[in-house]
Amino acid sequence: MTGDILYRLRGPAAGPGPGAHRSRDTGGLGVFRDQVPFWRHPDARRIDLRATLRDPFEGTVVRRFEQRRALEVWALVDLSASMRFRGAGAAWDLVTELCIALARSATRIGDAFGLVGCGAGPDLMLPASRRRGTADVVAERLAATRPQGMSADGLLAAASSLAGRRKLVAVVSDFRLPDALTGALFDRLQGHDVVPVAIEDGALDEGLPAFGQIELEDLEGGGRRRVLMRPSLRTRWLAREAERRDSLRRLALRHGRPPYRLADRFDGDDFSRHLLGTAA
Amino acid sequence: MTAGLMALVSRFGVTAPAWLWLLPLALMPLVASSQKRIPVPSLAMVPADGLSRLVDAVLTLAGMAAIGFLILALAGPHLVGESLMRTGEGAQISLLIDRSGSMNETFAGRQPSGPEESKAAASRRILEGFVGRRAHDLVAVSAFSTSPMAVLPMTDRHDAVRAAIRAIDRPGLEATNVARGLGLALAQFGPGAPQASRVLLLVSDGAAIIDRRVQPTLREEFAKIRPTLYWLFLRTAGSPGLGDRPAGEDTPQAAPERHLDLFFKSLGVPYRAFEAESAQAVEEAIREIDRQERKPISYTERRPQRDLTGFAYGLAALAMALLLAAKLAETDLAVRASASRPAASRETRRAA
Repeated sequence: MTGDILYRLRGPAAGPGPGAHRSRDTGGLGVFRDQVPFWRHPDARRIDLRATLRDPFEGTVVRRFEQRRALEVWALVDLSASMRFRGAGAAWDLVTELCIALARSATRIGDAFGLVGCGAGPDLMLPASRRRGTADVVAERLAATRPQGMSADGLLAAASSLAGRRKLVAVVSDFRLPDALTGALFDRLQGHDVVPVAIEDGALDEGLPAFGQIELEDLEGGGRRRVLMRPSLRTRWLAREAERRDSLRRLALRHGRPPYRLADRFDGDDFSRHLLGTAA
Repeated sequence: MTAGLMALVSRFGVTAPAWLWLLPLALMPLVASSQKRIPVPSLAMVPADGLSRLVDAVLTLAGMAAIGFLILALAGPHLVGESLMRTGEGAQISLLIDRSGSMNETFAGRQPSGPEESKAAASRRILEGFVGRRAHDLVAVSAFSTSPMAVLPMTDRHDAVRAAIRAIDRPGLEATNVARGLGLALAQFGPGAPQASRVLLLVSDGAAIIDRRVQPTLREEFAKIRPTLYWLFLRTAGSPGLGDRPAGEDTPQAAPERHLDLFFKSLGVPYRAFEAESAQAVEEAIREIDRQERKPISYTERRPQRDLTGFAYGLAALAMALLLAAKLAETDLAVRASASRPAASRETRRAA
């Protein structure tokens, strides 16, 4: 089935219970990890006979196996009004699809999925849950939500609330935020595996018209501006966008993974490739 | 320059000022726009652009101008008419025309027949040309027969004057009463413009006795107004001239023309008599007068009210053409039809 997202945590997982992800914990089952003396791991069922016989100091050696753990996947969603943008794709629909797919994929393999949506303050909160119906709940809640925050300052507070064990946190935003806010947000999420998902749109990129005049209106109440499009301005616009994207990439790389560009339509396989490819 | 502008503003007026209450509507382009507003996530992504700002300002102004000038046009703008005092070359001319019965005859003293023209027709033809020749003359027309008739007061409307002159070859009436005619012609000068040259042109084909009792009054009037007096004497062939002494007793009754001439000479004002025995002679006399009476004269120029409605509509149309051009140049971001989107999300939900 398409749309299922495969992901891997950067580093070992430290979830609440057994699950699908590699961790530092050792347990009785799973992939062989190492051999330790019996006194360190007094589990008579796992005595490695060959290694015990081979040991020149006649110690008893026990095999240890890697315990696989579950983890919590969180989506931190920007609910500022700019997420309402509709261009070649609709930003909010993309966010909805992404979150549903994440929730479904997470709960399918026993991970918990939680969601925090923030505009100027925290507006939408779904505690992490491993229930199978989580994706439906997420779909319902997101369909009922209309992003209309005048800023995304609530993201900071929400990031602080995601304390504790290491989690996979997808930060879903268009990242048209002040640089200071983005930096602070990444800093607060320091302990987690942060996947920035930048919602973009082809209409504001390669799809920009080369000629004509447009009256633009800021979705977040920043007024209106008439723009006379022409090739030189389009070039400058694109250069500016590329520069913004580049600075976001550099900032994100400093904290882990590069941002994933989600534009126009959601492709789960592509997102999986990104998640697996940047997990190393 | 500023004074000229101020004068222009002070002459400005509207016919229906109530419309001007709608003028605040012209501020609408500041808050609204005819264009589709395209929401974008952030205006910060748009590079600052001077040309765009200029275009925006121009279009906003054009919008305000379009509404403003339309409302102004509805209110009926105009420049109020005014009269200006100007100085030109010309004279105040009071025409005094004899309408007695004898004017209907030819210079030969007959009723006109065939190509011949009556004295009235000849004087009419020539005076018409005389009046049109100089633009700044002020002309008054009076006529007299038994009693004087004020035909036209002193005016610079030469069309009216010509019309009055055209009327003098209507068949005239009875007798000739010069004294009262002169009184009226003098009264036509009126007060004002004392420096202007004043001409009293008497056109007649005969004379009558001026009553001794009226003579002092006339003298007084002439002394006060001091016009140059021209007498265009249309002399019928064979009748006595101005200088001819009658054979018998030299009394006003016997030779009224001679005695009128003497009376005029005694007035103390510049006086000249033209004895014209034919149409050509009349013409020469007129040309002579035309040559002599050239002095600066102040006259009133009337500027009519000027309607500016068309102008206002034109400006509004210009502004609207600009707006239309902008509207036609309007473009959009490449927005996908939103129909396919809900279907996709339904599918996702089902999959979930």
